[in-house]
Amino acid sequence: MAQGRETTSPYSRLLRNQVPLLALVAVCVITAVLSDRFLSPVNLNNILLQACVMSVIAMGMTFVIISGGFDLSVGSTVALSGTVATWVMLETHWSVGVTAGIAAGALVGYINGLIVARLRVNPFITTLGSMVVVRGIVLLITDGRPIVGDEGLPDTFLELGRARLFGVHLLVWLPLVLFAVFGWLLHMTAYGKRIFATGGNRDAAFLAGIDVERMTASAYAWCGALAGVAGVMLAARLQSGQPTVGEFYELTAIAAVVLGGASLRGGDGQLYKSMIGVFIMVVLANSLNLLNVHSYWQRVAIGLVIIAAAAADQIKSRNT
Amino acid sequence: MNPVAAFINEETSVKQASIRRAKEKALKRLATVFAGVFVLALSALPVHAQKKVVGLSLASDTNPFYIVMRNGVEARAKELGWEVRVVTANEDVNKQVNGVLDLVAQKVDGILISPIDAVATGAAYEAAHKANIPIISIARGAKSAYQTLFVAMDSVQIGRDVAAWAAQTARGKGKVGMIAGPAGANVFEELAQGFKEQMAKNKDMPIVFEHHVALTREQGLKQAEDLLVAHPDVRVIYAGNDELALGAAQAVAAAGKKSGVLITGLNGIPPALASVTKGDMDLTVVLSPMVWGRLGVDVMANWMKGERPKQHVFIKHILATKENAAKYMPPKQK
Repeated sequence: MAQGRETTSPYSRLLRNQVPLLALVAVCVITAVLSDRFLSPVNLNNILLQACVMSVIAMGMTFVIISGGFDLSVGSTVALSGTVATWVMLETHWSVGVTAGIAAGALVGYINGLIVARLRVNPFITTLGSMVVVRGIVLLITDGRPIVGDEGLPDTFLELGRARLFGVHLLVWLPLVLFAVFGWLLHMTAYGKRIFATGGNRDAAFLAGIDVERMTASAYAWCGALAGVAGVMLAARLQSGQPTVGEFYELTAIAAVVLGGASLRGGDGQLYKSMIGVFIMVVLANSLNLLNVHSYWQRVAIGLVIIAAAAADQIKSRNT
Repeated sequence: MNPVAAFINEETSVKQASIRRAKEKALKRLATVFAGVFVLALSALPVHAQKKVVGLSLASDTNPFYIVMRNGVEARAKELGWEVRVVTANEDVNKQVNGVLDLVAQKVDGILISPIDAVATGAAYEAAHKANIPIISIARGAKSAYQTLFVAMDSVQIGRDVAAWAAQTARGKGKVGMIAGPAGANVFEELAQGFKEQMAKNKDMPIVFEHHVALTREQGLKQAEDLLVAHPDVRVIYAGNDELALGAAQAVAAAGKKSGVLITGLNGIPPALASVTKGDMDLTVVLSPMVWGRLGVDVMANWMKGERPKQHVFIKHILATKENAAKYMPPKQK
């Protein structure tokens, strides 16, 4: 962040702090000029719908990254919670299923957190391992088949994936509510400040009397729980529990959080900027589709954007 | 113009000039990358005209089957003077739904789709239906009520034909192992069902092994290895597609049982045709994805003209054995 020693004008500081937002606006403006369909209500609704699952995953990822960690297991956790939720609701009630799905996600996150915090295993290795373990468990409980139920999933649950409130899907409203809650938790409470402190300088935070192990574990638990929510949302949208969904979602989520300006070294980041990062990824994919860019080129473009984000992170940190 | 460049100009501090210069350079490079990406996008911008535009949603853009199908769709569309817009999903159902939504937003005239999952793509079909865009499935079907048509293979019949051929060739005797395709996909369930129905007519040909796996060569190899350990005297190995069959052929060859085991595949991809000609595999079913793609466009054209066939349009299939497999090898292509 541009602070202290900087003698820049407030105007340029604002510009610097809002690079992700400006990038998003730039992508939007350019696409809107090139495609007359981009700003159509149908497409704007599509973008919101396409962003909703990833935005919830990225919220959790923001917690972990700010606390100085890293979570590769969220993609598998999305599949776990979706399949557990659909499986349980077929046996019981849709609400029990939803709860079980989210709880399964939280459990995975909490275990990740305990291993990282108490055993001091590298987060990359820990979550790489749990990514594989969780995917295996998903395949075991589903036998590799999608869970759809003989007569389909409960109607109420399917309705969650389809219903709209004021013309916008429920699946879009939910992340908004979560954003308000977790934005408050991260930026306006003492707990949030401790998370930042733990990620910024673990030793200093410890000496200041912060239970850094608990902070770390809790960040992973939130991340898992939110991945669980995302998995349930995805299951509602796909009207089934899919054992293979979520592959590479962890990478998109990490890319989005970093695009939003959070530092992979921890202690720096903002929830709303992570959301902007998600929208950059989603709008970019949408825009490349609308402009009919060949799918191979799309990969090149998206990869370049991720590298650009990491480069921006590096440049920023060199400056402070 | 460029926000990044604009704020670089604002920089005035002398103290950190060197750092700043390095940073400027890096930021400029970043800006160049962004600009490059958009120029790419620009170059792909379609020309606006009155011609028909069809969207094509593929499960994958790296699987040879879909690459050739795409070629078929594009070739036939070109002949009709149509434009094709392709979105791909990299085998991610959610991404496939999103891609179809993007096509709907573009108000294409029709959508051809090969759905990854019969149920999970429901939202995509619903969106197309709501926008009054016909959506026709190719090769794999959906359970959605909004599926306009399904250009399918007659899966059950193909399964029966394969079983009949295997039973005849094995003279009605010997154990049968099945390495079937993924259970979530209708096509593979129907294939297996047809195969089992027909095979059940042969009392001396029990099915001793049945696994539903992902359609990769690795799985074919692994499953066949296990099958050969559990049942060394297996006579027929049914594989859900050519990749599985090629893997199974590898396992059989490694076990030194090449002559005693019949291996059947599906799709008629070039490596499988070559393998059948050589005698490693014994049967594949030719379902050219090229023909499939072309048929999809034709069915769409007929629909737009007002033709209303029943739910399914079937593609022809041909059994390719050692005698005729070479005939179906495609002419050399890129």
